Amino acid sequence: MPRRYGPYGGAFVPETLVPALVELERTWTEARADPAFRAELTLLSRTLGGRPTPLYFARNLTRRAGGAEIWLKREDLVHGGAHKFNNALGQGLLARRMGKPRLIAETGAGQHGVATASIGAALGLETEVYMGEVDMARQRPNVERMRLLGAKVHPVTTGSRTLKDAINAALRDWIANVRTTHYLLGSAVGPHPFPSLVADFQSVIGREILRQSRQSFGALPDLAVACVGGGSNAIGTFRPMLRTKVALLGIEAGGPRGGSRGAASLSHGRPGVLHGAYTYVLQNREGQVADTESVSAGLDYAGVGPEHAWLRDSGRVTYRAVHDDGALTAFRWLAEEEGILPALEPAHAIYAAVGEARRRSGRERVVVTLSGRGDKDLEVVLGALRRGA
Amino acid sequence: MERFDAALRSARALGRPVVVPYLMVDRRRRSGLAGVVDALARGGASALELGFPFSDPIADGPTLEAAAGRALDHGTRWSDLLDQVRVAGARLPTAVMTYANPVLYRGLRSGMKSLRRAGAGALIVPDLSFEEAGPWIHAAHSADLALVLFAAPAISPRRVEHIARRSRGFLYLVSRYGTTGRERPAGSADLAPLVRASHRAAPELPVLVGFGVRDRASAVQALASGADGVIVGSALEERLELRPRTTQIVRFIRTIASARGTPPAGVARPRRARRP
Repeated sequence: MPRRYGPYGGAFVPETLVPALVELERTWTEARADPAFRAELTLLSRTLGGRPTPLYFARNLTRRAGGAEIWLKREDLVHGGAHKFNNALGQGLLARRMGKPRLIAETGAGQHGVATASIGAALGLETEVYMGEVDMARQRPNVERMRLLGAKVHPVTTGSRTLKDAINAALRDWIANVRTTHYLLGSAVGPHPFPSLVADFQSVIGREILRQSRQSFGALPDLAVACVGGGSNAIGTFRPMLRTKVALLGIEAGGPRGGSRGAASLSHGRPGVLHGAYTYVLQNREGQVADTESVSAGLDYAGVGPEHAWLRDSGRVTYRAVHDDGALTAFRWLAEEEGILPALEPAHAIYAAVGEARRRSGRERVVVTLSGRGDKDLEVVLGALRRGA
Repeated sequence: MERFDAALRSARALGRPVVVPYLMVDRRRRSGLAGVVDALARGGASALELGFPFSDPIADGPTLEAAAGRALDHGTRWSDLLDQVRVAGARLPTAVMTYANPVLYRGLRSGMKSLRRAGAGALIVPDLSFEEAGPWIHAAHSADLALVLFAAPAISPRRVEHIARRSRGFLYLVSRYGTTGRERPAGSADLAPLVRASHRAAPELPVLVGFGVRDRASAVQALASGADGVIVGSALEERLELRPRTTQIVRFIRTIASARGTPPAGVARPRRARRP
């Protein structure tokens, strides 16, 4: 498993966590070679998770864009309503294999918290989720869902009270309870081996896209688009395509228009260490991590997975930011044209994909990973619409 | 670096515990700093740790996290750190503790050189695991700064040996599973095998126990492992927030400096090599 992607990655953590990270890497290395483990992962992905998810031709959205065909990878149909299940299931099985009875997780939009809570329930593991107070207020339905699924939700009241601070709190819990607890990190961020591990579990998205593209239109897509916060649905989409000719586009959250750097660490950050990894980080002139701003709690993060940092530098993937208003516009497009409510996170990617489709000929195909469904975002979207966005 | 090492060694040679208090650098505390450091020195501190605040201090508990947040709200900058190192370093040998990112932001070499020029003797980075320490060790060496490495109850005595061989200044032994501050009594883990491993691998390197050392009893317990001294952070920070009189600071450090560990029965203290 790669520890570094170019210069990025590594494990900048207190010594207390080192043995747990080593154990996690060893357990995954053994488990992936174990047919029984693989069989259980595949079976539960299918019977509990609902995989494979369909690749849907968005006919009306394509007509609206007036260019290349737009296809949606329907991760919003996965159990729990987002791609987060893929990783939560995999790591949950690893936790059980390591004999750790307790799961902790951070969550931004609440999707990862919900996924972890449902896996915890299904596997009989005690589950506690850290969530920033600001995010709890704007993603309330997910807080209720986690509680109904039997998880304890801890409000995080420090710092900007969003995803970054939730990760800090989860790491502190892990440092104290590492002998009995697995930290089920939800994105392709954090210390090695998490970025590799999460990408492994999410790569099912890209593998299915490749297979379904051949089945649906007899070719590979010309372009794949995914949103990037920490970057787990994006790395899952991109990784199986890195050695193909598919053009790859990652979309960060640009935040509100005018001045703000949003949460676009690849577009506006510089390399540094956040949460155990050397990667692009939004920071101020003193090397302090900057507060971020985005309408989508799930992309509202000052760092990004180290593999994305390297893919940016190497030029294999292009990264751009889409502002809040673009995401809200795309939310309405998809609702009105296709009858699908997307989460605000992938709405950023849909906005960019429509723009790309417009520039391309009708013979080309653009695949967008629709990483989650938008029920959780109704309050935010309705509020923005009332304000005239 | 010489002065820093010498200060710790001389306390050890006298058979006294090495006491290193920790202060958060805060722009608003600049005017009182000299007085506080003098009081710490009078109370028996051998050296001082100055903490530079970081926005995401994952190894710190509530007390120091809040202190860092306040310091940043007060506009504390790297230049304040250098300024306060100059003030403190004139009174006690001074180490700087901060997370990896603020140093990396300035570049390893130039960041460390600026600390050295200001008079710091050592650098302590709690989120620098041994695997990532290589480039830091080289940069610290060329900046003539002692890079203090960490050990913890979670790791094996064998790993402690490797770390102790590369650590300079002292070995920072974390007392327990957890973050800094009160939450659980210090020394609940059995630190003695880790202290022995360090002394075996690097006989001259003092081992200092930190995290949760807050009074005489916890200091006694930490020293009972055979460690050479203790680091006192959160407990001092809590007192400073109450704006104590100088004599109270002196007394607080003195109670800790007067602690002696009783080595567990049947365990001889390792012999320490003298410097030729």
